Amino acid sequence: MSANTRSLENTMLKTRLKSMLRNSLPTLAMIALIPIWELVCWLFEVPEFILPRPSAIAEAFVAVEPQRWLLHLGATLYIALAGFALSILISLPLAVLLVRSEFLNKTLFPILVVIQSTPIIAIAPLLIVIMGTGDAPRLTITCLITFFPLVVSATTGMLSTPEELIELSRSLRGGAIREIWQIRLPYAIPHIFSGLKVGITLAVIGAVIAEFVAAEQGLGYFVQFSTSYFKIPQAFAALFFLSIVSLMLFKAVRWTQKIWFGWSLQKSS
Amino acid sequence: MKRPFRLKSLLLTGAFALISQATLAADKVTFQLDWLPGGDKASIYAGIDQGYFADEGIEVKISQGRGSTDAISKIATGSADVGFADLVALLVARANDQVPVKAVYSVFSEAPHAFFTVKGNGINSVSDVAGKKIATSPFTSSNIFLPLLLDLNKVDQDSISLVKADPGSLAPMLLTGNTDVVISWITDAEKYRSQAAKAGKELTVMPWYDAGLKFYATSVIASERFLQQRPDVARRFIRAYNRAVEFTWAHPQQAAEAVHKQVPEVDVDVAVATINSIRSLVYNDASASAGLGNFDHQRLADTWKSTAIAQKLDPASFDPETAISREPKLAAE
Repeated sequence: MSANTRSLENTMLKTRLKSMLRNSLPTLAMIALIPIWELVCWLFEVPEFILPRPSAIAEAFVAVEPQRWLLHLGATLYIALAGFALSILISLPLAVLLVRSEFLNKTLFPILVVIQSTPIIAIAPLLIVIMGTGDAPRLTITCLITFFPLVVSATTGMLSTPEELIELSRSLRGGAIREIWQIRLPYAIPHIFSGLKVGITLAVIGAVIAEFVAAEQGLGYFVQFSTSYFKIPQAFAALFFLSIVSLMLFKAVRWTQKIWFGWSLQKSS
Repeated sequence: MKRPFRLKSLLLTGAFALISQATLAADKVTFQLDWLPGGDKASIYAGIDQGYFADEGIEVKISQGRGSTDAISKIATGSADVGFADLVALLVARANDQVPVKAVYSVFSEAPHAFFTVKGNGINSVSDVAGKKIATSPFTSSNIFLPLLLDLNKVDQDSISLVKADPGSLAPMLLTGNTDVVISWITDAEKYRSQAAKAGKELTVMPWYDAGLKFYATSVIASERFLQQRPDVARRFIRAYNRAVEFTWAHPQQAAEAVHKQVPEVDVDVAVATINSIRSLVYNDASASAGLGNFDHQRLADTWKSTAIAQKLDPASFDPETAISREPKLAAE
């Protein structure tokens, strides 16, 4: 009996270790890359202005005062998150309209596709001229880049609701609002969250594009500023910071789904 | 007994507050840079830091920019009142689109365009670029003048091979030998020099003004609306800015520190080196004879003529004098 329990504990420990290892594999792979990168730069004497060593990047990161980093981080986060929130506020009602109305679907959707296929980076300077140099053009750029995946995923999700459920709701005289709110939207949750996950990473890209065109603060601005002064390690440091922020935001969306919509996780993955 | 006293004192304080606000309220001016902050933009930061604008009752807010045309369009649309821009870009914008913006003060009376190369490439003068590979950034105004420069120096245009690349990649291209020469601005020479030093190479700078191209470049520009509606602010602004220019090149260290104070990303050392290296753009024969900040009629006409030829426009189609307002500078004196 006790031998049995012990062997059971052993196997449990082994599986737990294995799953821990499996979970940390992506991080380990990234960490393993750093010494290889350092070594390659050292061996082939790669000049700093082509590819700086990780140690040089770390040095550049530390050389910038923490409050400067926070200032730039805050500016980028504000634009990315506010633009993303705006985009959610626009996309979800838009998706409901597209699902409800055949007419809008036929007329509005092509316009959305045209907006989506326009390279935002090309119209960004025009937006600045039209809207001035405040936050408005930056929020618009972020919103324009993020809204399409949200609209498409929400629409697809709501349309994937089984017909039987819709018919049942109608036969019980469930109104249009209940049909959307209680049947279609819950069905669309997994799709909406896949859209949100794509959207949040795009929001960071949108904020950076906006900062490239007009900004005085922000991580994107800082990358541009650093390259204009040929401070390539500093630019890389800002770049890494950006990707970490992007990764954290992505995780935050996943956690939101896990905490409030845990039931939708299996479907979504 | 106490109440009326309190009421009176309250009224008095209120009245004082109103009066002091009226006397203290400075005229607000938004200044549009034509690029990111740095030593070449130090004058405006130094003017703020030294209190020259405050002395004239002006509060300046600096807005960063992304190129001359960006600055011109922001000033034309009213996002800013005054700013920096290349005079050539302004002349072209006015000739083509009649933008309501005028130049009021000449900052660089020599053009900053230059060839950069490294020692050992066998290039010692502009005419040596014949048969070489030249890299430039796609949108720089220098490209417009390259054919003119090559003609003046009798270099066959077909003999050079011109590649265009992102401004940030030009220095690496030069240092790795991907190109023999790059086209850049003297204002960037210090950044290139420090990069070259890291790679164990020595930079050679060949300004185009030494090779026959003589014209105005970076100027202070202002919207016509600003000049018409707030002429007095414009005059006081120019008076303060003129002091700022003189201070910047008299005290490069302090001017560079002023930039760093307001934009901590800018290194003081690089800014000092830049201010020193572009002194010849501000203090030269042209500015000595016309007076600092002034536009000479003949040189202005020559600037437009070169621009028109380079842009394939009819030189007679536009009068460059209409793009200039000398009034604020004259009145400031």
